[in-house]
Amino acid sequence: MTRSDAVLITAIVGAILSFSFISSGGNVGSFGITILSGLFQGMLLFLVAAGLSLIFGLMDVLNFAQGAYFMVGAYLAYDIQHTGGLIDVGIADPGLRFIVGVIAATLAGAVLGVLLELLLRPVYKRHLFLLVLTFGVSIVMLEGIKAFYSVTPYTWTEFFGIREAQFTFLGQNFTQYRLFVLAVGFALMVGISLLLNRTRIGIIIRAGVQDREMVSALGINVQTVFTFVFTLGCAVAAFGGAIAAPFLGATITMGTTYLVAAIAVIVLGGLGSYEGTAIGAMIVGLALAAMQQFSITINQPVLASITPMMLLIAVLLIRPRGLFGQER
Amino acid sequence: MSAPLLRVREIDAFIEQFHILEDVTFDVPDGGITVLLGRNGAGKTTTLRSVLGMTSVTSGDIEYNGQSIVGKKTHTIAQMGIGYVPEHRAIFSELTVQENLRIAARHKDDLPRNIEMIFTLFPDLKRLYQLQGGNLSGGQQQMLAIARALVPDNRLLLIDEPSEGLAPVIIEQVIAAIKALAETKTVLLVEQNFRVASQLADNYVIMDHGQSVAHGVMASLSQDDEIVQRYLGVGMH
Amino acid sequence: MDNVQDVFQETPQDVFRPPPMWRVFLREHWLHLLIVAVLIVLPHAIGWITGDSPFGRVRGSRVIMAGESTYWQAIFIEMFSLAVLVMSYNLMFGFTGVISFGHALFFGIGGYAVGIVVQYWDVDPNLAFIAGVLLVIFITSILGLLIGLLSLRLRGIYFAIFTLAIAEMAWLYAGSWRLTRGEDGLTINRLPEWIDPERSRLMVYYIGLALFVTAFLVIRRLVRSPAGAVFQAIRENEDRAKAIGYNTLRYKLLSIVVASVLAGLAGILMGILNKSARPELLGVTYTVDALLITIIGGVGTLAGPVVGTAGLHLLELWVRDSSIILSLNLGLFEFTLNFSQDWILIIGVVFVVVVLVFPYGLVGTWYRLRARVGDWWERRRATT
Repeated sequence: MTRSDAVLITAIVGAILSFSFISSGGNVGSFGITILSGLFQGMLLFLVAAGLSLIFGLMDVLNFAQGAYFMVGAYLAYDIQHTGGLIDVGIADPGLRFIVGVIAATLAGAVLGVLLELLLRPVYKRHLFLLVLTFGVSIVMLEGIKAFYSVTPYTWTEFFGIREAQFTFLGQNFTQYRLFVLAVGFALMVGISLLLNRTRIGIIIRAGVQDREMVSALGINVQTVFTFVFTLGCAVAAFGGAIAAPFLGATITMGTTYLVAAIAVIVLGGLGSYEGTAIGAMIVGLALAAMQQFSITINQPVLASITPMMLLIAVLLIRPRGLFGQER
Repeated sequence: MSAPLLRVREIDAFIEQFHILEDVTFDVPDGGITVLLGRNGAGKTTTLRSVLGMTSVTSGDIEYNGQSIVGKKTHTIAQMGIGYVPEHRAIFSELTVQENLRIAARHKDDLPRNIEMIFTLFPDLKRLYQLQGGNLSGGQQQMLAIARALVPDNRLLLIDEPSEGLAPVIIEQVIAAIKALAETKTVLLVEQNFRVASQLADNYVIMDHGQSVAHGVMASLSQDDEIVQRYLGVGMH
Repeated sequence: MDNVQDVFQETPQDVFRPPPMWRVFLREHWLHLLIVAVLIVLPHAIGWITGDSPFGRVRGSRVIMAGESTYWQAIFIEMFSLAVLVMSYNLMFGFTGVISFGHALFFGIGGYAVGIVVQYWDVDPNLAFIAGVLLVIFITSILGLLIGLLSLRLRGIYFAIFTLAIAEMAWLYAGSWRLTRGEDGLTINRLPEWIDPERSRLMVYYIGLALFVTAFLVIRRLVRSPAGAVFQAIRENEDRAKAIGYNTLRYKLLSIVVASVLAGLAGILMGILNKSARPELLGVTYTVDALLITIIGGVGTLAGPVVGTAGLHLLELWVRDSSIILSLNLGLFEFTLNFSQDWILIIGVVFVVVVLVFPYGLVGTWYRLRARVGDWWERRRATT
């Protein structure tokens, strides 16, 4: 990160923060809620965007199915945690059931990720088909979920310890669950960063982003690295959906919504840059929360939902290479 | 005379619809340095890429160490003991020198075992060990690219245009290094600079318009002005 | 001597006389003409077979649109609209290589703009309708031009993302704007009589057919012109096309603007048929339809979109009416697939299979097959 990058990022974050402070009417409590909600959403976005960014960097393909993995994760975690769904795990403790649900969702994401990568192999050489194929797979996953469950949104009704616990800060009540998501997400962020920077497979991934052919000329089977990255990316997205479910519930549209916002994140961060994705996710999350607050203030709910697209358009028009991207 | 380490027989290769290699045939003897000579666009780089399976060969055969390697995956061929130093080096610029070497290791002990040898050949790399590849000078990058091919115990090195764009002093260093490593390994070199090639090579293969047109012992080529004039043109001296 | 002169005079006429124009035309276009003829006769033929009038049923002083003929007319009108949308997408994506994920934007603008003018402008409905159509052509061409200009800066995936964002924004906005009547959609009930599908559906059918044929001819003319060759050069390798000296931006703009206007006109037809404009017209579903049908039919072929639309639309109709149910017991849970409800799921699977197995689509694969059989036939003839 250069000095001018740091200045730019500080300026953007500063602008968002002052905007959200003004739109919350100077109320410190609701300002705090906005910030926390922004970081929470940013973390969820990061979990979708991380895989998107890694896969794009390595293989030059935007995985349009990434949002569907988020959605599948949410549905599985919801189903397993709530009794009387399609899947009954037979565990009495609701908290434990939730943990099982998150693990199952992550594993399912990993397995589906491997399958997707296997499916894509025959068309690796044809870029356009790769792109439209992930698009097709996302439709299949979406419609598959519709066939299994239904189009009716599921709202979280099963309550358990950490989901409900609250704490007070600046005279406002905050749910501890958001802090939990933030902590878990942050741990994952650091974990992936360590993986990329400290391990041999991480070095291979970073090298592959730059020059795939040279990596294989060194005697490395790039194909297995692709499989690994797909598995990791999809598992992380499904995990994100699972831990988001207690707040967002499970809906058919959540995948697409998060996908568009996650695309905004990786474009803002600079396609293929991991640290750009992490910072971009937090910026987009904060911007979303600030706009949600603002749209409530001026009573224009549509403003909040078009924010990801507006951000995306703005970044593409002003700085298509994003914060940390190379010119392509 | 022992069997050649690399045997290329009548290979053809296309890039899109263009016929780049036509019946290319030559041997690389085990040990020493063989140089591929020829004008720009004669197909030298494509020949190296074909050996590694990066450009697919439509007919003909390539044998390495007595085994056919045509149609095998690039990484499988490389694992058989072939190192590649491409044109323009292809250093991973985001990775440090250490990481650039570490990625080439096929076994855990490859790097520790060979690092002393690498540092003896290229003492500069020791000083630059934690620097990012993108911050190195052209000469340093060339040294790193050769060093990267030395991390695993490769038997054959394919080196493409090592002197390109380098200052004369650096070229001398690179020549010395290639000479030193050729004592234990076989080198197939692509080199435009005839002076460099004649200093280094034991054998030569001349390529012209995608075909292998002449081969022999380097010492005799330097005497044969006619071939040099015809295929390599003026300015090669 | 006389004989020699005879030979000189006779031979050229005998050997080099070109076949008459009409025969060349027929040989090349017999299938096209046959299809158009069938489509012109179709409503009357159905009416004749089933005994239902193609003009609807007389109920007292009114005519209502009931019976087999008018039912099929509606289906074909929808098919014409979809086919034009898919053809326009194929012009951009299949022939020029520009990927857009927001083509439905123009389709939706077609429906909404005509609807808004007709509903809110209190003049003679004929005037309002024609003004609406002109407005659609104007808006879609200007917008196509603007978005196309951005393709200079945003290439490939960036352009696709950009168009997706624009279209999604329009979709969300149309669902909440008061002028467009939010999520309920805008009811269009002030259409002039001659284009109201509830009063003169047969007329709408023929207008739809005319639009379909015109769009096909325009696209055919365009891709077979010198400009079409440049489109394909851009698709294969834009940098190379630029290096040869073509102003690739100008050709991309031409392709994008024509595609946008055609999509807008298709949207008008859909709006008329539904007598409403709903946010779905702008939604990603129509873009996905266009993309999937283009690929299933055959990317970059003239017939692909038409065959794809007709095939999928009729298949959809049949599947939705049928009651095929597939039951799967996966141990942990039971899963029932109801073909009539899970139609899009099936389309998705079909799509994935087609991309993997027939990457050239139905028509493209057929052409390749035919070429191969032709080669084989030639070789056989040459040897015997």
